Amino acid sequence: MSKLRFFWEQSWLLLVSSLIFGVLLAMADAALAPRIKRNETEKFTRLAGGMLPEAVRFEPVEPKIAVTASNGKTVEVEVYRGLDEQGRTAGWAFACEGGGFSDKIKLVVGVDGRFEKLAGFGVLSSNETPGFGDKITIPGGFFQKQFVGAPADKLTLVKTGRPEQIDAEIVAITGATVTSQAVVDILNMYVLAIRSALKEQGLLN
Amino acid sequence: MAENQTSVGRSFLAGLWDENPVLRLILGMCPTLAVTTSLQAALTMGASVIFVLICSNLVVSAMRNLLKPHLRILMFTLTIAAFVTIADLFLKAYQPEMSAKLGPYIPLIIVNCIIICRAEACASKNGLLVSLADALGMGLGFTGALTVLAVIRELLATGQIVFTFSRSFTLVRLPDVPLFRMAGMAMPVGAFLMLGLMLGLVKLLTTKRT
Amino acid sequence: MQTLESLLLGFIGIMIVNNLVFTKFLGTCPYLGVSGRIDTAFGMGCAVTFVVTLAGALTWTLDYLVLIPYGLDVMRYVCYILVIAGAVQLVEMYVRKFFPVLYESFGIFLPLITTNCAILGMCLFINLWGIDNLPEAVVLSVGAGLGFTLAICIMAGIRENLELADVPAALRGAPITLITAGLLTLAFMGFAGMIR
Repeated sequence: MSKLRFFWEQSWLLLVSSLIFGVLLAMADAALAPRIKRNETEKFTRLAGGMLPEAVRFEPVEPKIAVTASNGKTVEVEVYRGLDEQGRTAGWAFACEGGGFSDKIKLVVGVDGRFEKLAGFGVLSSNETPGFGDKITIPGGFFQKQFVGAPADKLTLVKTGRPEQIDAEIVAITGATVTSQAVVDILNMYVLAIRSALKEQGLLN
Repeated sequence: MAENQTSVGRSFLAGLWDENPVLRLILGMCPTLAVTTSLQAALTMGASVIFVLICSNLVVSAMRNLLKPHLRILMFTLTIAAFVTIADLFLKAYQPEMSAKLGPYIPLIIVNCIIICRAEACASKNGLLVSLADALGMGLGFTGALTVLAVIRELLATGQIVFTFSRSFTLVRLPDVPLFRMAGMAMPVGAFLMLGLMLGLVKLLTTKRT
Repeated sequence: MQTLESLLLGFIGIMIVNNLVFTKFLGTCPYLGVSGRIDTAFGMGCAVTFVVTLAGALTWTLDYLVLIPYGLDVMRYVCYILVIAGAVQLVEMYVRKFFPVLYESFGIFLPLITTNCAILGMCLFINLWGIDNLPEAVVLSVGAGLGFTLAICIMAGIRENLELADVPAALRGAPITLITAGLLTLAFMGFAGMIR
């Protein structure tokens, strides 16, 4: 019994404060979790809505589409169909990600209704070099503009070219080749796989 | 009491320069190097550290007479981890962009030498007011050092200081000359080099000439 | 199940391309402090490798067995640091008692590195990168530790020579070490983008 008493004497503060902190954290989590969740979905909807202005609401396509990444891993992507006021398909949007120069790059990609042309992309999160790789996040900037209207097909990155010509050639950001290539690779990986999956499901007519 | 007043004032001022955690004590290098790519990130990190420092110093000081010697480091760690989690939740909720940018460096405040050292050296031995002053002094000193480094790095790398909330606000814009477009400054290279030079400068300023 | 190839790529990636010290700034405090001589540096590197592998495996298991299934994500940081501290303490006591020779070579560093950013940082990165299988978590941890060892041994080699050089008074100690680290980072930047 004295061993138990000794144990209690030494560690009561630890146990009691663990309990108090546990409760404190649970309360903080309960208070802030809804807002955190809202932040995540809000950014997606805002970026997708910006690229597909006619869409008034987005519906997820079931089942989720499996995309195989370059390292062999399979990711399940939630593709959203944008519907306009008459309920017709105004476009498609999905979130995708891949490795960039510094860390992971998470994008929202918009595609037109017939999945023939890209509506552009937006950056959900990235940690690229400020002033260089960071330029992919500029809305309507040099890099993002090249994707609006580009074919929903395999894209290639070039170092020099004509950025104002909207085609499957994307001109890289000077001094941020790795980041630019990362974005093109992400799009190539996801766009082609999702297009064939949607075609298979008969949703692209 | 007069003696108490001096102690409180002295604790506060010590953290600002004489015992500046980054510049003199050379603690807390990891966040200093990692978040000083932009001023906004540096200030967010500084604010988080001040919050955690104050809370943990106050709590540790409040229970300083109850601590058992073997378990005290564990108690400090538990306290700090709890407050860092709260700070992280707050950032995720109200500043999601900054939270994503700072990434794992906010939870790394838990193992930031500054906070554990202050809990061990000061808060566990002094009263509430002294601990609070110490926390504020150290926190502000840390933030000050981070701010200076961030301003230098951001200006040299991009030539502007940009704050992003829901929109971007450009506070300072310098002319577009190569001096202000040094990519290396925004990368780890620039971090190490600038911090090394800054520490050298501080050492130069504070060494008494004989 | 990860193929051997992707494991190998991940291992090399984190050891050289995304080196913890040079690209993620983790473990800078011991890196500056213990890199004076090659033998102590190597001991420190071994200790870090050992602890980070243990910590990475334990925290990953905790995450996937307890935290995620029961929705206890909010307790993640607290649990991680307590698990790391506890495991290192136990290992240190065990090594000191049963392997005194081993303890002499790197055991003394063990308590020091519990609060090392590198350990907790690596566990957090494993969580952040969404690593969903244990072998990959272990391989990445080992790679990270070896990368740290590589970095600190290179630095020790350089610093041993710097002792003989005429460094200006103001730059001696931490400043010149940081500047050297910056130049090393520049060199390692050559690997950037090699493996994404």
